[in-house]
Amino acid sequence: MTSGLASPVGAAQVPAPMTGKTLALHDLSLALRSGVRGPGAADWLRTQSMPTDLQPNTIENISNGRLLMALSTREFWLLEPDADASAAAPPSAAVATEAWPLYNQHSHAWLVLAGGPKADMMAKLCGVDLRENAFALGQVAQTQMAHISVIVAHHLWRDTPVFSMFVDQSLADFAWTALSDAMSEFRASTD
Amino acid sequence: MSPRRLDAPYGQLIDRDSPVEFEFDGELIRGYRGDSVVSALLGEDRWLISRSFKYHRPRGPLSLAGHDANTLVQTPRAPNQLAEDLDAQDQEIVSGQNFLGSLRADRYALLDRLGRFLPVGFYYRAFFKPRGIWRYWEAFIRKTAGLGVANLRVKPRYSDKQYLFCDVAVVGAGPAGISAALTAAAGGAEVLLIDENPYTGGALTYHRFGLEDVTREHMLAQLRSSLAAAANIRVLSGATCNAWFSDHYLPVFQGERLLKVRANTCILATGSSEQPVVFRNNDVPGIVLCSALERLLLHHGVCPEGPAVVLAGNDDAYLTALTAIDAGLTLAAVVDMRPATDNPALAAALAERGVTCYFNATVYEAHEDASGLRLGSVDVYNIETAGQVGALTARIECQLLAMSAGLMPAYQLACHGGAKLEYVDEKAAFALTQLPEGMLLAGGVNSIHTLEAVCADGRNAGRQALRALSRPADDDEAVECALRVNHPWPIFKHPRGREFVDFDEDLQVKDIINSARLGYRDIQLVKRYSTVGMGPSQGRHSALTTARLIAQATDRTVSETGVTTARPPVKPEPLGLLAGRRFHPVRKTPLDSRHRALGAHMIPAGSWRRPAFYGKPSQRTACIAAEAQAVRTGVGIIDVSTLGGIDLRGPDAAEFLNRIYTYGFLKQPVGKTRYAVLTSEQGVVVDDGVAARLADEHFYVTATTTGVDRVYRDMLRWNAQWRLSVDIAQVTSAYSAVNVAGPRSRDVLESAGCDLDLSAEAFPYLACREACVGGIPVRIMRVGFVGELGYELHVPSLMAQSLWDRLLSAGAAFDIKPFGVETQRLLRLEKGHIIVGQDTDGMSHPGEVGLEWAISRKKPFFVGRRSVEILMAQPLKRQLVGFSLSVHAPQPKEGHLVIRSGDIVGNVTSCEVSATLNQIVGLAYVHPDDALPGCDITIRTDDAVCVQATVVALPFYDPQNERQAL
Repeated sequence: MTSGLASPVGAAQVPAPMTGKTLALHDLSLALRSGVRGPGAADWLRTQSMPTDLQPNTIENISNGRLLMALSTREFWLLEPDADASAAAPPSAAVATEAWPLYNQHSHAWLVLAGGPKADMMAKLCGVDLRENAFALGQVAQTQMAHISVIVAHHLWRDTPVFSMFVDQSLADFAWTALSDAMSEFRASTD
Repeated sequence: MSPRRLDAPYGQLIDRDSPVEFEFDGELIRGYRGDSVVSALLGEDRWLISRSFKYHRPRGPLSLAGHDANTLVQTPRAPNQLAEDLDAQDQEIVSGQNFLGSLRADRYALLDRLGRFLPVGFYYRAFFKPRGIWRYWEAFIRKTAGLGVANLRVKPRYSDKQYLFCDVAVVGAGPAGISAALTAAAGGAEVLLIDENPYTGGALTYHRFGLEDVTREHMLAQLRSSLAAAANIRVLSGATCNAWFSDHYLPVFQGERLLKVRANTCILATGSSEQPVVFRNNDVPGIVLCSALERLLLHHGVCPEGPAVVLAGNDDAYLTALTAIDAGLTLAAVVDMRPATDNPALAAALAERGVTCYFNATVYEAHEDASGLRLGSVDVYNIETAGQVGALTARIECQLLAMSAGLMPAYQLACHGGAKLEYVDEKAAFALTQLPEGMLLAGGVNSIHTLEAVCADGRNAGRQALRALSRPADDDEAVECALRVNHPWPIFKHPRGREFVDFDEDLQVKDIINSARLGYRDIQLVKRYSTVGMGPSQGRHSALTTARLIAQATDRTVSETGVTTARPPVKPEPLGLLAGRRFHPVRKTPLDSRHRALGAHMIPAGSWRRPAFYGKPSQRTACIAAEAQAVRTGVGIIDVSTLGGIDLRGPDAAEFLNRIYTYGFLKQPVGKTRYAVLTSEQGVVVDDGVAARLADEHFYVTATTTGVDRVYRDMLRWNAQWRLSVDIAQVTSAYSAVNVAGPRSRDVLESAGCDLDLSAEAFPYLACREACVGGIPVRIMRVGFVGELGYELHVPSLMAQSLWDRLLSAGAAFDIKPFGVETQRLLRLEKGHIIVGQDTDGMSHPGEVGLEWAISRKKPFFVGRRSVEILMAQPLKRQLVGFSLSVHAPQPKEGHLVIRSGDIVGNVTSCEVSATLNQIVGLAYVHPDDALPGCDITIRTDDAVCVQATVVALPFYDPQNERQAL
């Protein structure tokens, strides 16, 4: 637990270091994320000097390791994988006309999958083709994984292509367990 | 080495340096790594593998490809395993099945002599007369029915599923399939090549395609080398494609995994199924298909005991004969059902080798040897006309008969996609037409049989697949195949029967003909009446013969008759593989680990896990009583994170709420909560909760644990029509919640560092605030669900554990006690609060459940208003009331019936023993005339014991509502 915050991934146990790993699963649930949605969301992004031309279901590295993810023309998530989540009350008041902040810091767990065979592994859990040629860097899929809803985003993190996966925090333990199980046939680590 | 094993190049699949052993029916069988159970048995000259389904006739292998039911065996793990598909190296004990006594001496074989009393469909017309006889038959049938014994103690294997994506899926890795895959891959497509065998090459691995067997091995090596070099071809060996579904969705079984293949196009190169000849005793062990003999020699290096006879309906059978002679098998004769070979060189080649050929002749009857378990001789007769024989030409002593009546396309997958199998009667040739878009055929399944044409056809299919993918491709090659592979009438009915059409179901020629005579003219009805094609072979060896017999019996052509419909699966598939890895998502609150650490007894609540109470299940009553007492006299805390939460934000939030819920919300002050009831358009109570106004344009609404998804969905649906300026956000997971309840709850919050003035004046009952507890931001509502002073704290989920720990720590001085959902149900029942879904059902309107007060009659609209008005204007048919009875009476349970003058008038919805009230209290639907306090009602409890309860006014506890307003 950091700063009074606890990850919903209760099952996450940091394993002993492993070498030669081909897959790695990280819990970034305590990393910073926020968002905005509503008809005025894109206009508000403009006032924040953020890109407003993102197509729905895409993600873009914007600056300082931050990512902007568009889930529709009126819902945007701002992801900061290398910054810690805030312990302040999540804002609820409109940030601009018809633009409301999201509670995604607390509603969703954030899991990150890295490694070469990540698409093969995900094919055990998810019916969407996540191979590089079908799901390129910058693409986002709002789909299902192991019978639960998930948002999968393909982006670079620390210069490595990864899948960020956002699942309902109450299902984080389940998702972690399902992913760990699916990873078991690959040389994998979870932390 | 066993004397019946051949040296290389025979036996491609076996490793002679790795002997294996297993036990079959008590005997030690020796084979080699790479052997199947059947090939190892045949290597030891064991041809009796199983007993037939109906007549318990001895059976041996037919196809040696896992395509028939003659080799079903029992393993310790499971019955009905195809011995041809079982690796010998993986087995320890294998046994026969479906016999009484032993496989060799099956006492049920008596049924073979009673065949005349067991005609086709006899079971439709037997066993029910005279009246009452069925119970005797049932005992016998249950004892004898079924094949093998299921092991109910077997430990399930780990099996799972995986999607596979590709541009082109090629099913069948024979020469056609490999050629198609190579062509498609060369054009840039990503290709998946699927084959049920553990090797690639298909018929190239065992069948010679010409008089001189020189090109086969060279071509096989070349194709395999090209496959290995192709970067964008993935080969799935030992993988069975068991069906074709829309949009080229293919379930493929490989090992313990079900692969769900998604392809853009699909090339079927599944080859063809060799057809048996139908004559008397054509099922005796030692009678095999020609391809089976070739597999036995080339794959497993087993040279069976001779002499052998080949029964030919085409030129291919001559090639089998040559292969057998080259391997050293003594060939007594070739019996050709045709007047002459299409290729005269083949007959000449056999004559050169001293083999007698009988033309225009057939094996009319086979005879067992002295053991009765193996072929001993065959009677060869001249053929006079189609299906009619003349005089006996010869009786030939033999232990092996290899036969080939023709080749039928392996049409199953194409037919799953709606393709039609057409038959050209004049040429006895097949054609698959009306293929679904994107499905292509190559090779044998496309009725192309010569090697060069097969490969060219494969290449063409690869090119067509490329075009379907909008990729450039060369022009197609011209492909022709004039080879005649099917004999037009390889059926020879015998006066004494036992000419088997369907080996799986023991169906003879007369059974099929009699089906037609009984009026089943349609081939599909024949299938249902006779069960032909319903066994594990799925009609591979019986569909064509059945069609021919029905065509003849109904005076139609085979093409007019058609064949039975092929449906998935192509081969039997284990249910465990279909189930795969089971996912049962369970939702946990952020406090789950805390509950477990405190010894909570967890129970399911919808998709969630919640503490029922804290303590051992064996001490349930005491635990609940102690928790309830803590809430009533001190302070308790419960995790209510599963409560649904919806944020409504925007200028129209109040208007939206006002339209959705039954009560008035337009004038709700900021900082206040209101009870919110949701009715359906039919006027039925479907959910309830509390609406807290946090700001002018911001409401936070709770909903029931199991109902919130529906409420949220309905809200979105309604606003899609209303188009109000409001954001509707499901925040159930974003906010967790705890309820601190009891007379000392205010003390606990103050001690925990709540920065609010918690006095009753500053923060009264039904008020709501945003505040901090020890620096943790919370939304606080003063609620009274359990009937005591209480605070419901909603906290951002990542901070829920901190809040819980802080409250428990602060509450220690007040002896705070966590309580579970079962305790909460008792406490709210004492307070007379209903739970929507438990105390309501699909017919409950507000008037029935005492919620008239929550209906605003001033506003013009809310969802369900019109129906509510109509329903509530009518006389009540039932009413939900509180009842009580002595703690010593039998306790009614939820669902127990309320009886009035012998009629059912209602049911109990909630009932608990209240230690606080020293009574049993509950809620029940009763007749309206019995709804007044003081009325007696009759409840029928367990074992039909009726108890008298008294209707009492609600609430049972604190009727003046003083405690919750402290």
